[in-house]
Amino acid sequence: MKGFMAIYRKELADHFSSYRFLILFALIAMVSLITAYLAGMNMAKALEGRIKPTTVFLSLFTAAGAGFSLVQFVTFFGPLLGLLLGFDAINRERNEGTLSKLLSQPIYRDAVINAKFAAAATMIALMLAAIILVITGLGLVILGVVPDAEALGRILVYFVISVVYIALWLAVAILLSILLRSVATSALAALALWIFFSFFISIGANAVANSLTADAPPDDPAAIVKRARIENAISILSPMVLYTNATATIVDPSRKTTRNVIRVGVMEQLSMARYSGPLPLDQSLLVVLPNIVFLICLTVICFAVSYLVFMRQEIRSL
Amino acid sequence: MNSHVVGVRRQWALLVLVPALVLLLSLPAWAKQDRPQRMLSFAAEYPGVIVGPEDDVSMDLIVHNKGKKDETVFVWIESKPEDWKVRIKTYRYEITGVHVPGGEDRMLTFEAAHEKKVAPGDYVFRIGARSADRHFRFIRQIKVTVTADKKSRGSNGIVLTTSYPVLRGPSDARFEFSIEVESQLDDDAIFDLFAKGPDGWELNFKPAYESKYISSLRLKARQSSSVALEVKPAPGAGAGQYPITINVSSGPAKAKAELTVVLTGTYNLEVGTVDGLLSLTARRGREANLSFFVKNTGSAPNNNIEFLSFKPENWKVEFRPEKIDTLAPGELKQVEVLITPYEDALVGDYAVDLRVEGEKVSKPLSLRVTVKASAAWGWIGIAIIIFVVLGLTALFRKFGRR
Repeated sequence: MKGFMAIYRKELADHFSSYRFLILFALIAMVSLITAYLAGMNMAKALEGRIKPTTVFLSLFTAAGAGFSLVQFVTFFGPLLGLLLGFDAINRERNEGTLSKLLSQPIYRDAVINAKFAAAATMIALMLAAIILVITGLGLVILGVVPDAEALGRILVYFVISVVYIALWLAVAILLSILLRSVATSALAALALWIFFSFFISIGANAVANSLTADAPPDDPAAIVKRARIENAISILSPMVLYTNATATIVDPSRKTTRNVIRVGVMEQLSMARYSGPLPLDQSLLVVLPNIVFLICLTVICFAVSYLVFMRQEIRSL
Repeated sequence: MNSHVVGVRRQWALLVLVPALVLLLSLPAWAKQDRPQRMLSFAAEYPGVIVGPEDDVSMDLIVHNKGKKDETVFVWIESKPEDWKVRIKTYRYEITGVHVPGGEDRMLTFEAAHEKKVAPGDYVFRIGARSADRHFRFIRQIKVTVTADKKSRGSNGIVLTTSYPVLRGPSDARFEFSIEVESQLDDDAIFDLFAKGPDGWELNFKPAYESKYISSLRLKARQSSSVALEVKPAPGAGAGQYPITINVSSGPAKAKAELTVVLTGTYNLEVGTVDGLLSLTARRGREANLSFFVKNTGSAPNNNIEFLSFKPENWKVEFRPEKIDTLAPGELKQVEVLITPYEDALVGDYAVDLRVEGEKVSKPLSLRVTVKASAAWGWIGIAIIIFVVLGLTALFRKFGRR
């Protein structure tokens, strides 16, 4: 741990004082607050004179306020936060020659990358926590609902998944900053990867599924289910899809599966409709566990690769 | 001499030929040929009648045209005793004549009524009839003997009749007998009504179509009234035959009627779980069981009790035993139901409706099945995370501290 805390503290201080971070945080905080506020106002109007169920608190996060919900916003722009915090982590130090100076200090080399990753991850967690807490407070003020333990548990799980998801993109950005010498290239590469995995995979999965089931009639339920299965199998490569499915199920207790298309028989539907109550948290967790495991593994592996590459790289020659 | 012989021969020939000819001619229309040209008869149905002092007399007069020709017959009253009012009529008119086609009958009605009480004795009525051309003329006599005895009809003064003396139904039904009480007394009277049935049975008399209970009935002389007997069997009455006796009396006049109720027993089942819990937890693709009881709370044995289920597709619901052959009244049997959710079922609550179909009764049992995700995959997921983190730690060990 020698040197780790020093770098960690220094990195945090750098982040907090950087304009980049301030602008980014201001932007994200503003958008999320406006979204949650509008959603809250709409809900307050709709719920006037009714007993407020505790799920109302959760729908503050999922209801679309200004065209998109907070959960969706984090899904789309959370990765950008990770990328911006990590895309120049190593190569800028290298280009400015500070890396070799740093390593000439009595500091282990792994402390550098570990501390950089940990500091950025801490920033992500802090930002998310701040936003979630402010929105919780907003909910208390606008709606007057006090979240129960179950709702708080769901929010906590949502927070953990979100941190892991953004940390994954942080790890990707750090890996690119190790691999590519130019800051601009690594930024562009990170952006390209983000766009590819977030958007193109979904579109591509759709196209592949459609071409594979091209001869099936469009309203045949079996074909629809098959298409959805193919789409799912391909888009599992997209962290965004994994994250969306996981959080949607965690934050909305009435969702019973992470899949978007399921085949339900008539009797099954009738049978389920009788008790359409929310799922308990442990069941929701078990349902989304594969997604969470996959996200965590992706993040850890991505970081492990960047660690490995960084440790084996020649640095002093520069 | 010779001529005499010829004459004898002729007579012989005639004797043989004429009947043969007559026979031959009459064969196609025997009936018509049989009848004379004109033939009428006229008669009273009962030339002698005995009635009570207050009774009226009514009978048929028969006009029979036996001839081939149609006839018009005039009728009149030749003579009648004093204080009697006599009429000859058809179903519609009072008449003085009737047209009778050849070979047909006509019925006329003779009615004799007295305005006030007449003394006992014989009264003779003479009715005349003649054809239009006075060729036929009849005078017929009717003798009415009025007796002094008041109670000329009816033996005991009350007649009880019921159309349905035996009723059948389940033990918890209400039965209603309809009884016609006819008074044959000559004065208005109050009739007391009694009914006797098995112990614990509720028996009540009601006027027909009214819902009040009565124990006596006022009837005018020679009138009848309809009374209903409502029967409610005792709560525990089993299947069987139960006799009910009705006694109606007014002074010395009495009547008795026997009714029977046949109970078929009630059919009722009670279905539930011992602790009242109707929910169970199941895992996807795994069997979950719940035991419930079926109790016969009716009074008749229930045979062939089957179990049905209303469940989501691809689910399996089995019963052990699959059916109950017979369940005596009061008996309780336990049934185990095994529910296997579909392997790809979503987590959450499902409604599974069971139905116990007995004889003439069925009882529902609605279960709430909570399908839970298997925790095994949870552990596997956690194991994968631990494995990956261990890999990272190994990486740190190997490459760290450079």
